[in-house]
Amino acid sequence: MSKPVVIPPLTQKGHAAHCNRCLAGLPASLLDLDGSRMAISFYCLGTLDITGLVDQKITDTDRESWKEWIWDQQAGGVYGSGFRPGPFMTTTENQPSQHLATYSNDYSTPHIIMTYCALLSLAILRDDFTKLDRKGLLQFLRSCQGADGSFSTIPGAGDGDLRMTYCAFAISALLNDWSGIDAPRAFAYLRRCRTYEGGYGQSPTCEAIGGPTYCALASVYLAPPHLAMPLTPAERKQTTRWLLQTQNETGGLSGRTGKLADACYCFWCSASLDILGDRALLNTPAMAAFLASCQFNFGGIAKAPGTTPDPYHTYLSLAAVAIAPPETEDGSWRLQPLNTLINATTDTVKWAKEHIPARAY
Amino acid sequence: MSANDPSDTILFAERPEWADLTPVSQYENIQPLAPIFYKPEYKDATDYFRGVVKIGEMSPRVLALTETIIRLNPAHYSAWQYRYQTLLATNSSLSAELELTNELTKAYIKTYQVWHHRRLLLTKLNDPVPELAFIEDALTLDAKNYHTWSYRQWLLAHYDRAEMWAGELPFVERLLEEDVRNNSAWHHRFFVVFERGAEAGEDIVKRELAFAKEKIALAPNNNSAWNYLRGVLDHSHVPYASQTAFVKLYVSASAPQTGTDEVVDLENPLPAQGAELPCAAAIEFLADIYEAEGKAGLSRAVPLWKSLGDEHDTIRKKYWEYRIREATAAAQTS
Ligand SMILES: [Zn+2]
Repeated sequence: MSKPVVIPPLTQKGHAAHCNRCLAGLPASLLDLDGSRMAISFYCLGTLDITGLVDQKITDTDRESWKEWIWDQQAGGVYGSGFRPGPFMTTTENQPSQHLATYSNDYSTPHIIMTYCALLSLAILRDDFTKLDRKGLLQFLRSCQGADGSFSTIPGAGDGDLRMTYCAFAISALLNDWSGIDAPRAFAYLRRCRTYEGGYGQSPTCEAIGGPTYCALASVYLAPPHLAMPLTPAERKQTTRWLLQTQNETGGLSGRTGKLADACYCFWCSASLDILGDRALLNTPAMAAFLASCQFNFGGIAKAPGTTPDPYHTYLSLAAVAIAPPETEDGSWRLQPLNTLINATTDTVKWAKEHIPARAY
Repeated sequence: MSANDPSDTILFAERPEWADLTPVSQYENIQPLAPIFYKPEYKDATDYFRGVVKIGEMSPRVLALTETIIRLNPAHYSAWQYRYQTLLATNSSLSAELELTNELTKAYIKTYQVWHHRRLLLTKLNDPVPELAFIEDALTLDAKNYHTWSYRQWLLAHYDRAEMWAGELPFVERLLEEDVRNNSAWHHRFFVVFERGAEAGEDIVKRELAFAKEKIALAPNNNSAWNYLRGVLDHSHVPYASQTAFVKLYVSASAPQTGTDEVVDLENPLPAQGAELPCAAAIEFLADIYEAEGKAGLSRAVPLWKSLGDEHDTIRKKYWEYRIREATAAAQTS
């Protein structure tokens, strides 16, 4: 018989503080995040949002300048418009203004993952999205889709995988406009990523892994009914079995069969189960105990006990908890409810869906 | 350029050969999100890189510049992208670039960009065979590195050459010899055997079932091998019930005794001495076999699921209870 699991408190304030520190600045040792600052910002803002601390921790001045910074990353050009990861390829000569910044070469185009992160970050900050170039964004999605149905990070890169398929689907859902993607072709690609284990690989022929499995399932369930390509009952059963198998004796979930548990996969795999309607089958107290052990004393959550925390693992751990919080006496595990398909709080997604789609004036 | 090379410490701004180029600093508004405290050498190199991109210069010195940036930030995808275009524009030796990329790949093995660059080079060089040895070598650094395996699978599928496929099974076997729980190697085997396009015949299915079972016998508590066994059966539409005799050997609490007069049964290899039994994956498998029998099998499947939830796989207790509920409901409606 398994012993009853003791779950230490979730130190929400510390995790929010960790992310607040990262928003203020990252050390030079994290230079390799230069090309993904928008994603880091999203994980930090997402942490403040999911802990319900946005209003308390973000001053009005910060909120306004951060929104401005994000809009500065929106750029338009021959491939359409979207958001760049940060200003690392912009120049003083091409300073953004209130008007849409432009890119004039292939080396400073928008990036599809960063665009997804920017839209959600702006929604967390409750922006009104009047500056969004919706037409340009649809064109950008089209520019990213390749002949095989996959989406590349930037137009023409040819580096397509399921992460970007998900971003294209999530952006289409937020816009409530599916004209930017060729869904049948995207699904043909997605299906090629499915493996004999029941999970999905990052691209066709690759090993089943948690993150891309979430991306595949969320895409399938985000698609509107007339475009949907649901799993067969047998596929669903097999996927649920594989997802549950990723929980090991530590209580944590691993990304692939036989690998070590990792806090981020607690999200990717449990969110996948939630999408399939099978989240209740997972051992919630055991997973929470694992995540509790990944908490860093001075704030932040790491991928595994004893390793260094970062905003990515912090946010995803909290998101995993928010889907199905464990019952504890101290109530410390209660978070804002999550919209699993979009991966932001339900309030933020509601705001996004009210403000991002084009409106007939 | 190695990290100890003194030339590395000279900023581009101080190099006479760069005096003609106007550096372009990064635009950042007053209160940015998640600013990175750039090292002076990174700020310097990227200032010159933005200057280069602005005027569209593609020259040998740009190769040196982008290499500097890549070594400081291997995830700088624009530097990689510009470097590749510069290599083509300057007619540079792509074999020399691959040589350099060998070192960079091993140094930044977890970076997407280095593998993508490698793929682009290969597509031009069209010399995939030596890559197989390089990958096997790279796997000694990290035998489960996702990028490394993806690259090997892409290479095989993209070139689809008989002489390349030929060595893949011995290669997988070498890796499983080292770690029988390396799921990446198991996945690769499935890819090589079943996803080459040609339908795998009956003899191949038989061979793969025997292979999986031999590995299960060595280490029964290995989900990778059991998933493979299931995968082979699913793929070839062979019922799980065909494995009843084998699976039963792993469901009992102790290993069956081998009589001296018994011949080794290749289809039903016995658990290795000292193997931890009963094996949860085998119990699950046997329950699946009984469940497939419908109403008649239910009474035999339920106690197995119960034993998993209560004793052998307690962490998934809720799942096993669910399986009991589902199967019971299905039996009532059938
Ligand atoms: Zn992780």
